[in-house]
Amino acid sequence: MTASRSLGQFYPVASLLHGLDARAKILATAVLAVGLFLVDSVAGFLLGAAMVVLLVAASRVPPGIFLGFLRPVAFIVALTLLFQILFSPEGETLFAWGFLEVHEGGLMRGLFLALRILLLVSTAGLLTATTAPVALADGIEDLLSPLKKLRFPAHELAMMTTIALRFIPTLHEETQKIARAQAARGADFSEGGPIRRARALLPVLIPLTVGAFRRADELAEAMESRGYRGGEGRMRYRESRFRARDALALAAAVLVVAGGILV
Amino acid sequence: MNNPGDEGARHDGPPLVSCENLTFSYPGSEGTALAGVSFELGTGEYVGVVGPNGGGKSTLLRLLNGLIRADSGGVRVGGLDPATEPYQVRKRVGMLFQNPDNGLVAPFVEDDVAFGLENSGVSREEMRERVGTAIRAVGLEGFERREPHTLSGGEKQRVALAGLLALDPEVLLLDEPTSMLDAAGRAEVLSKLGELRGARTVLHVTHHLDELLGANRALVLNAGRLVADVPPERLVSDAELLRENRLALPATLRLAAGLGLGAAKPRTPEELAAAVLRRVKLGVEAR
Amino acid sequence: MRIELEDVRHIYAPGTPFEVEALRGVSLAVEPDEALGIVGGTGSGKSTLAQHLNLLLAPTSGRVLVDGADARTLKGVELRRRVGLVFQFPEAALFAPTVEEDVAFAPRRLGLDEEETRERVSETLELLGASHLVGRAPHALSGGEKRRVAIAGVLAMAPEVLVLDEPTAGLDPATREDLLGVVRALRDGGTSVVMVSHDLDEVAEVVDRVCVLEKGELLAVGAPETVFYAHLVTAPSTVRTASILRGPYPEVGRPVRFKDTLAALKGLLEGRG
Repeated sequence: MTASRSLGQFYPVASLLHGLDARAKILATAVLAVGLFLVDSVAGFLLGAAMVVLLVAASRVPPGIFLGFLRPVAFIVALTLLFQILFSPEGETLFAWGFLEVHEGGLMRGLFLALRILLLVSTAGLLTATTAPVALADGIEDLLSPLKKLRFPAHELAMMTTIALRFIPTLHEETQKIARAQAARGADFSEGGPIRRARALLPVLIPLTVGAFRRADELAEAMESRGYRGGEGRMRYRESRFRARDALALAAAVLVVAGGILV
Repeated sequence: MNNPGDEGARHDGPPLVSCENLTFSYPGSEGTALAGVSFELGTGEYVGVVGPNGGGKSTLLRLLNGLIRADSGGVRVGGLDPATEPYQVRKRVGMLFQNPDNGLVAPFVEDDVAFGLENSGVSREEMRERVGTAIRAVGLEGFERREPHTLSGGEKQRVALAGLLALDPEVLLLDEPTSMLDAAGRAEVLSKLGELRGARTVLHVTHHLDELLGANRALVLNAGRLVADVPPERLVSDAELLRENRLALPATLRLAAGLGLGAAKPRTPEELAAAVLRRVKLGVEAR
Repeated sequence: MRIELEDVRHIYAPGTPFEVEALRGVSLAVEPDEALGIVGGTGSGKSTLAQHLNLLLAPTSGRVLVDGADARTLKGVELRRRVGLVFQFPEAALFAPTVEEDVAFAPRRLGLDEEETRERVSETLELLGASHLVGRAPHALSGGEKRRVAIAGVLAMAPEVLVLDEPTAGLDPATREDLLGVVRALRDGGTSVVMVSHDLDEVAEVVDRVCVLEKGELLAVGAPETVFYAHLVTAPSTVRTASILRGPYPEVGRPVRFKDTLAALKGLLEGRG
């Protein structure tokens, strides 16, 4: 009945970012993520923030969608910010109120941390919003395939990613349905302390898990019936070509990160 | 589903599918799922499989495409043994499952229809063409980038059907493909199956006996035994056969049987009304 | 117990690109001691409507009244006990290690002591023809058995109204018949039953009144012979056949149930044929 929009779900529109090869995007995201952890100056963060804003524009995904990505982490970010502001006694005291003191260092630390989290989530969201799920899984498989020589299950990992992406919305709906069915039998998920609430979730988690295993069995049967026998000799439907613009995008990401760190 | 030509008659040539004395028990379960089942399917035949739940119908289908291996007895599909050459068999046998959700593996319709082709060693160009053709054939043009959870049950089964047809199998195994669908979904799927079946050999497990009116014959499996192999006319009119095997006729066929009009095999309530009108007119003329 | 929907509208995901108006101003009453059928195609709003009967879903606008009082004034837990709702494919929510434990969930939540719970469980399982399953593990049961246990789990609350969303979906004919028998027994025993179903032939055999939904709107509500003969698109096979015949032969009347239709048509053939 309801269309569930999972976190970071693919937004189908034609854009510069959508047209890039998945591998380039995955690598660029990784580079940017590392960069976000290493940046440590106001100028660096401004550069990072500006870059994210530019990328969001280039993705032609409505900004509202990205704000949606940020909503789940907003609470954590606010908490982190508050914690840092109130409990980091570094630098000059900006103002004091009773025994609570806000120091310049704490404020900066808090803002940096908050920005890091927000920019990270946005960057990851950019990846999943502009890359079709199967392309994403194929990209992961390709990037990891050199490890196949070391018996690393790159194809299996990619297949797992595809299947997970396929079933997340389905399982989400199933969870809602089970929760409502148990509520109809008198289950109450909002009463009591944390332990009580955790136990109250069992009538949802158990059938969800049992159901998931049954789904897995049936899916495996279907896959086998359709000739699946692992990654050997599979010809992928989706083509991935690493072109000049993908190399450029990757190079741009590295440059931005370098710039951010050095500034 | 329509079978042009003789219904109930045997087809020429060696059987495409043959089972001899098939026996199978699920590990850890008490009873036998299949006990000494033997039958043959000729090329192009459309055969129904009916019977109470737990009677072995699904088990039989899974033995035919090698998902499980018989404890004893022989199976041959297109000359191959599914137990020893499952992958070869699966190139020629396509199976449609009961749960529309759990047969879809990819996040987009297009990629799911391509899944079987990806496993079959076909070139990428050919894949694209076959995927496009299959999606159009089941009436889902425009659905290429849709995500499975946004589809209705009937649409999901049509995606699964497209995936099968893209591989062009000779044999179709249908495991209650409409039992989890609503009336509209059922109609969609049955209509496409009828349209696209072609000359393929079909084994159709179902509880809806009206789906088998166009079949060549119907196998009745009860408690693992093949208790009957009859043409559909017999199936829908033999009250004892129906009762003993806990089969139920849909309302229209039951009405027809109660009125002595079973031979007309009405597929819709409107056809039954027409048959009644004909009988009344005959009666009037006889006077 | 009388449940009334007063001009109920329900919009899913309002204000988003996925906004869907599932119910567009539906007014309907569920009377005491009746079996009411809710029919309509996919997307008609049947399931949404069913979930409003015990306020599991709240209306976007409009009211739900229970015995004349606004349902929101009642305690949620109490309302959900008095109006039991069984979802489609309810066996997906079975979770306890044994059938007994699972069916006991609701009675225990209601505060019944162990002895009362055990009694309630065994009564309910007996009603569903599932007493022999009491010590079994739910996930090891067949589809039909699981369905019975799941329904028992809701019935164990001894609700005054039982709402069933597609109760026979996916079941084999024998189990379907059994469940329809349970529905009749419940209605005869004083529990109102509301049955949402796409299977018109089944609905016809069981209900006292039927309502037809289309795209979130109530097209008609009333006695089966009135509603079905006026809306042949959502009519059972029996009505579709009889309605063609009663044109030239009005003595056919307006039968709905199988028995009555068979008798009417037999009469026609013997009289005229």
